[in-house]
Amino acid sequence: MRTVRANLILCLLLCVIHLPVIAQLQPVYSFQQDDTVLRKNYYDQTIKKKELLLASVGKEYAKDYKAIYDDQFKEIGGFWKSSRAVTSPGIYNYLQSVVQNIISVNPELKGTDARIVFTRDWWPNAVSMGDGSVAINAGLFIFMSSEAELAFIICHELAHYYLGHTPEKIKKYVETINSDAYQAELKRIAKTTYGAGGQLEAFAKSTAFGSHRHSRESEAAADKQAYLFLKRTGYDIGAIRSALEMLDRIDDTSVYKPLNLAQVFNTKEYPFRKKWIEKESAIFAQVNDNSSFTAQEKDSLKTHPDCTKRIALLADSINAATGGKKFMVNENLFSQLKKDLFLEITEECYRAKNLSRNLYYSLLLLQAEENKDIAVYSIARCLNDLFDKQKNHKLGTAVDTESKSFPEDYNLLLRMLERIRLDEMAGLNYAFCNEHAAVMKDFPGFDKELIKAKKSKDQ
Amino acid sequence: MKQRVLAAGLIALTTLCVQAQKLTIENVQKVALRNSDAIKEGTEVKGYYFFYVSDKIDKRTNEYTLQITDNNLKKLKDIKFQDSKDVTILESSFNGTDLIFLFYNEDARTFEYQVYGADGKKKHVYNRELTKKEKRYLAMSYLAVDDEEQTYKGLYPIEGRGFISNMPSREDRDYTFQVDYFSSEKRKQWTFTPTEGGKKLIGDYLGTYNGVVYFEVLKYGGAFDGKPDSYLLGLDLETGRQLFENPTDNAKYRFYPASMSVVSGKAVIFGEYYDPNGNVAKDKSLGFAFIMVDEKGKVVGEKYCSWDLEMGKYLDVSSKGKIADFGYMFVHNIIQTADGSVFAIGEGYKKVASGLGIAANILTGGRGGIASIKIKVTDMILLKFDKDFNIKEAKIYDKNSNSVELPNGYGTVSGPLLGKMVKYTFGEFDYSYSQVNKDNTSFTVCYSDYERGKNYKGGTFNSITYNEGKITTDKIQTKSDASRTAVLPGKQGQVLIMDYYRKAKRLDVHFEKLN
Repeated sequence: MRTVRANLILCLLLCVIHLPVIAQLQPVYSFQQDDTVLRKNYYDQTIKKKELLLASVGKEYAKDYKAIYDDQFKEIGGFWKSSRAVTSPGIYNYLQSVVQNIISVNPELKGTDARIVFTRDWWPNAVSMGDGSVAINAGLFIFMSSEAELAFIICHELAHYYLGHTPEKIKKYVETINSDAYQAELKRIAKTTYGAGGQLEAFAKSTAFGSHRHSRESEAAADKQAYLFLKRTGYDIGAIRSALEMLDRIDDTSVYKPLNLAQVFNTKEYPFRKKWIEKESAIFAQVNDNSSFTAQEKDSLKTHPDCTKRIALLADSINAATGGKKFMVNENLFSQLKKDLFLEITEECYRAKNLSRNLYYSLLLLQAEENKDIAVYSIARCLNDLFDKQKNHKLGTAVDTESKSFPEDYNLLLRMLERIRLDEMAGLNYAFCNEHAAVMKDFPGFDKELIKAKKSKDQ
Repeated sequence: MKQRVLAAGLIALTTLCVQAQKLTIENVQKVALRNSDAIKEGTEVKGYYFFYVSDKIDKRTNEYTLQITDNNLKKLKDIKFQDSKDVTILESSFNGTDLIFLFYNEDARTFEYQVYGADGKKKHVYNRELTKKEKRYLAMSYLAVDDEEQTYKGLYPIEGRGFISNMPSREDRDYTFQVDYFSSEKRKQWTFTPTEGGKKLIGDYLGTYNGVVYFEVLKYGGAFDGKPDSYLLGLDLETGRQLFENPTDNAKYRFYPASMSVVSGKAVIFGEYYDPNGNVAKDKSLGFAFIMVDEKGKVVGEKYCSWDLEMGKYLDVSSKGKIADFGYMFVHNIIQTADGSVFAIGEGYKKVASGLGIAANILTGGRGGIASIKIKVTDMILLKFDKDFNIKEAKIYDKNSNSVELPNGYGTVSGPLLGKMVKYTFGEFDYSYSQVNKDNTSFTVCYSDYERGKNYKGGTFNSITYNEGKITTDKIQTKSDASRTAVLPGKQGQVLIMDYYRKAKRLDVHFEKLN
């Protein structure tokens, strides 16, 4: 949601795209066919934008600006070159209709070169990358309850771009690190023999605090501008509150009911084994991550902090507004796209070789009996891949490890993947495939996965 | 050595940014990693710690940060404190709920044991002051060896209750050992230091069961005593009071306990046994013995498996205890699994002619400095005994042999003694470590090897895994496209692989399962 956190997000993206992206796709379902020409066009615009920006910075600190822009545009360019951006006509056109509802009534946005797309990314976020590229992650869209909420999120990201928050932040950063005061203080600390670490920590905190404060100010400014943009559209202004409330609790929310591993992986042929997920002794087991934190500190740890404060800042404006529509383009399509994009997220995790997430989302679909045949195929394929990875000692590069920031049911799956032995993985998958073989006999590619699972089991 | 690789890797990460021309917070920050290691509960890795100097306070004082992570390397806590510049961490342990660290201040000659609870807060601190004599002895023994197997190290968890510490010590004229118990429940400690009047005593912790702490004690008459007397020592876990000290020898055999487990409510002590008149340092063992003892140290059952009779059915063993092509067997570990089966893990070695030594001696008229005989470290071996301690299986796991050149004069040393030298003096065995899971349903034996194949030439990290009755082997090639790869112990059945890419200045860290 926040431009100022773009660097963090980009780092996260980096981590994901570092994994080898070797797609070996089978015809699982007719996934959205991207418009590669459009994507190339957007990529070209990004490159041009970089050249313009570099030309616009003066000679002073040119090296610093170049280093930052190189990093920034490497990520943005990588994004447009990847399979993450959804440019398939159906989804793209829907999103552009909502975008047009905003741009057409806001003169400030007339002629904007903003390029707004959904992504196939699982994490619940939206980002204005600073050059006009705006990404609304499918991982956020699936939590939205109305088109008006989507419109507010778009307005917020457009506001960041319109208000020039990214270039402003870069400028402020470059000027700060080059300022005489900043350099003099670092020089003084560098020459200090004793207590230098403490002084440096305090100095880093004070400058970071300045940055956080600036970030909060940017968010508030973007919200205010987004309110003005949204107000003119005819969308329900109440969506601002519901969208921010949704963001506030998003870390503890799931679209589907928690995964019951013991149920989805229990077959007559290969019963589920409790030892795969049993709890073990752990260091500092009673430490609750948040127990010693104040309410403010707890909030700052959220993916989207300060939401209640942001609501409060706009409360009068929201309360004063009446009417407004929750849907203006297509309610049915909105609902359908949420389902389709969940499948896109699932498949993108597979493409990016994030196999634990691919398996998690596929199992959630199976449990919810939604797109069941796709889910079964996807699980069989994923377990076969996990078998290969584990056999070749590369499993650790394709699965997450347990984390307190993950949902409990995902952590249990990760624990299972960590403990299950190679022969058990093969046995489990073969039994799973057999259990669904009759129903899946005509599903393209399933027979190959079944054969592969059998081969692994017989090894 | 591998811990140093870990440290080097982390330091590399923290210094990546030290290239800028103008000052940045990153290149002003100076952090020096002092120690890092895995935190274990028995043999299971439960986390890692990184102990570094985060600031210099004055001439004699540093600020330290002790970072504790879980076994996925996720940070659990940073503990910051100020202390003398001479402080290091020697050991750590976890007892299922509480964590202990042993801090050593070399200048002040003090040990400080800090216990942290499950809530992450410091619960108790125990102190010990070393005499100059003790410090000198520890410098030669406990502090001198820093290997993966933690030879001489000993901070053993008593589940949910505390920790037993065992380390070499000096008391009067004795070279002895000191046992300490540090409670984690309440502030309570006891110490036991045996003295005999001028003898050398070595204590080896075997285990704790039913309120009794069992130790194997070897008493040497002098520095060259090849027939140390062996005793089973029992201490009261509550008080540290000696409950018994019984000789492990009997009229027929001389028995040296190596490990212990609990079977059907009885403590069972395992080890090799020897001729009662033999020399343990030089003579071959006669086989394996399994002795059941009660809480008073009384033998309530025993079983002897000889090389000649029982094990000869499964292995081609000569009357001198030498296995064909395999050589002598050095026992690294003995493990009992949940179904009662016992596994002895060993490695082979044999004497062979040294071309280099012979040539050097010819050229220098016998003053070459290298013996004409060298040691060839051969294969791994796993012996399986059933719950009644009858041998059921013996399997040799092939690996490439490596040679150990010996200094002149070592050629006449007996085979069994050379095994101890290969282990403790030269450190040339390929065996790395063993890990057993908590319910003893699974264990993994890890060792290194080197391959010279068509498709791969380089080091390998190998494992033999027992899991619910099945044994599997696995191998990880440690030569990759990374500039440097280090394999470290991870959770049971897993290893931590660290690939450092020098050009990209990237450190990839991932856990991998041993299949």
